[in-house]
Amino acid sequence: MKRTIVPLGPQHPVLPEPLVLDLVLEDERVVDAVPTIGYIHRGLEAMVEKVEYTEMGFVAERICGICSFMHGMGFCASIEDIMGVEVPERARWLRLVWAELSRIQSHLLWLGLGSDAFGFENLFMHCWRMREEILDIFEATTGGRIIFSVNRIGGVKRDIADSELAGIAERLRALGERFAEIARVFRADPSIHHRLAGVGVLPAGEALAAGAVGPMARASGLATDTRLLGTHGYDRLDFEPVVEAGGDCLARVLVRLREVEQSIDLIRQLVDRMPKGDGQPIETRVRGLPDGETFMRLEQPRGEVVYYLKANGTKYLERFRARTPTFANIPAMISLVRGHDLADVPNIILTIDPCISCTER
Amino acid sequence: MSFFRRSPWILHYDGSSCNGCDIEVLACLTPLYDVERFGVVNTGNPKHADILLVTGSVNERNVEIVENLYRQMPDPKVVVAVGACACSGGIFARAYNVQGGIDRVVPVDVYVPGCAARPERIIDGVVQGIAALEGKRAAMAAGRRRGALRPQSGSQPAGAA
Amino acid sequence: MDGERFLARVAAYRADGWRLSVINTTAVLPSDELPQGAFDISWSFALGTRLEHLRERVVPGEEVPSVSPSFPSAFLYENEMRELFGVDVTGIAVDLRGQLYRTATRVPFSPGAIRRRLEATGRLGDGARHAAKPQPRPTTEAGA
Ligand code: SF4
Repeated sequence: MKRTIVPLGPQHPVLPEPLVLDLVLEDERVVDAVPTIGYIHRGLEAMVEKVEYTEMGFVAERICGICSFMHGMGFCASIEDIMGVEVPERARWLRLVWAELSRIQSHLLWLGLGSDAFGFENLFMHCWRMREEILDIFEATTGGRIIFSVNRIGGVKRDIADSELAGIAERLRALGERFAEIARVFRADPSIHHRLAGVGVLPAGEALAAGAVGPMARASGLATDTRLLGTHGYDRLDFEPVVEAGGDCLARVLVRLREVEQSIDLIRQLVDRMPKGDGQPIETRVRGLPDGETFMRLEQPRGEVVYYLKANGTKYLERFRARTPTFANIPAMISLVRGHDLADVPNIILTIDPCISCTER
Repeated sequence: MSFFRRSPWILHYDGSSCNGCDIEVLACLTPLYDVERFGVVNTGNPKHADILLVTGSVNERNVEIVENLYRQMPDPKVVVAVGACACSGGIFARAYNVQGGIDRVVPVDVYVPGCAARPERIIDGVVQGIAALEGKRAAMAAGRRRGALRPQSGSQPAGAA
Repeated sequence: MDGERFLARVAAYRADGWRLSVINTTAVLPSDELPQGAFDISWSFALGTRLEHLRERVVPGEEVPSVSPSFPSAFLYENEMRELFGVDVTGIAVDLRGQLYRTATRVPFSPGAIRRRLEATGRLGDGARHAAKPQPRPTTEAGA
């Protein structure tokens, strides 16, 4: 049969970001997909040559505007690990509050984009309206909506007052009730099921072989969640990773729906268990220069991120590397689109929740 | 909003942004900000867009794309650079693969500052873009009355004569 | 590096159900012992809460076998190694032929390119930069 190559992107029908896939088609069926990236490649990792380690965190935050907080947190935690800095108790709890809020924000954003892609614009608007409430909390607590720069090496820049934390928990409880209505639509709407159920099935074995991470892996029945390591303070919270068995597009939606609910619960736990009292220390002063290397893992909304930092006792790091979750999920995505109709490709791409600026850096 | 002479159609292109500004551009379309109530429509087709909204800087690879999109847009047209990256390269100005702000490739009419640019500012930038668009249209019409309509310009802003 | 022994160790990880978590390359600047510089490459594997690393130091031009027989998904990392660092990876499952990034600088992370950038900023020879040998703690599970 005659083969046609259809370039998908860079100016994209489904994503605001320029991902390019050359789809090799036989009739309407995709037989292969070849990725090209580089439209957003900035050379961010090489900036360690010019930016001092104390300021590099601000660059790391701009790896991606969706997981911005988590990138800053990962960078600071890596340096803290190398230098053996003890982060104050309060700061560790606060970081987790912002981290879990980021997860809710990111999943709501994705649920919106997803529904837009399968033709449900109304749902898109609802998801993004809820997302604005999370951004409100960010703005009230950090001053920024997207990029907060609230992480410092050795702690955080701002405290959240106890009363405010209680307020956040209350707002999230109310949000959770409204979210339940939306979740019901995702779970029950026949047109959504029609588009997603049974499409793009990734069996557990393949997910493991392809190195899939995050909701992508969990939707295929793998209980991998970097939070289970118990690092960053997650050992003080009770949770089970959200796992679905289906492995299809629908399962990936369901995992994210449940993770929103999970994060709301985690924040409630955080607020309940956090040692009370305003005016606790939130930052350890850091002196000296880092020397050594570390691998640091963190569970971002899209899955496991791995930072590798190598310092050599100067102000400038020798190497900074961020292996972001989308980078790990692209091979699985490519094997998924093979054998599907062209019209299903957007949904499959979208359900891995690709973040291209993370991938290319 | 009677001073809106008509509804501008916007083409959004993401250069090498970190996503922050993109998401804010998208947020402008959603219920809290809802620019569609002013008649602003987001389109994916450059051939019927009036305003090119670019987030992120230009790098080796997307430089042709920004140029291409701009060239395909009909005159009069306006370019709005959203965020520090699009204005000057921002925090990434010193990265090896970044060439700088988008005014390296296309003429920019409105610069929207911020990292990330806030939705209110983006909307304000679009409003200023509309004013610039009106100005260009008037200039074009005047030129036409004088019978001196310039041939469709390549990558030069129209109505600058 | 001993390619065969290396691939056998990689295959053992695969057989035991490990996941390839990341392949990372760090360029080592040219020095008296290493006139052309070198690459420190680490392959990291994850299982449960564990993260283990294999590490090799190779010089430019030395062949590094692809781990795709065991982990086909490694192709993205390996194309990146070749395009951004100039590591000579052989037998990549999906060879993108240098079309993955298309950067302004060719092989921007190669020892030579980094050296040129550092020279331009006048910071070459800053401290112990890039001279240090890899340290023997690659199997740490980092935690805050
Ligand atoms: S200006 Fe800031 S938020 Fe906007 S794209 Fe650039 S780095 Fe991201």
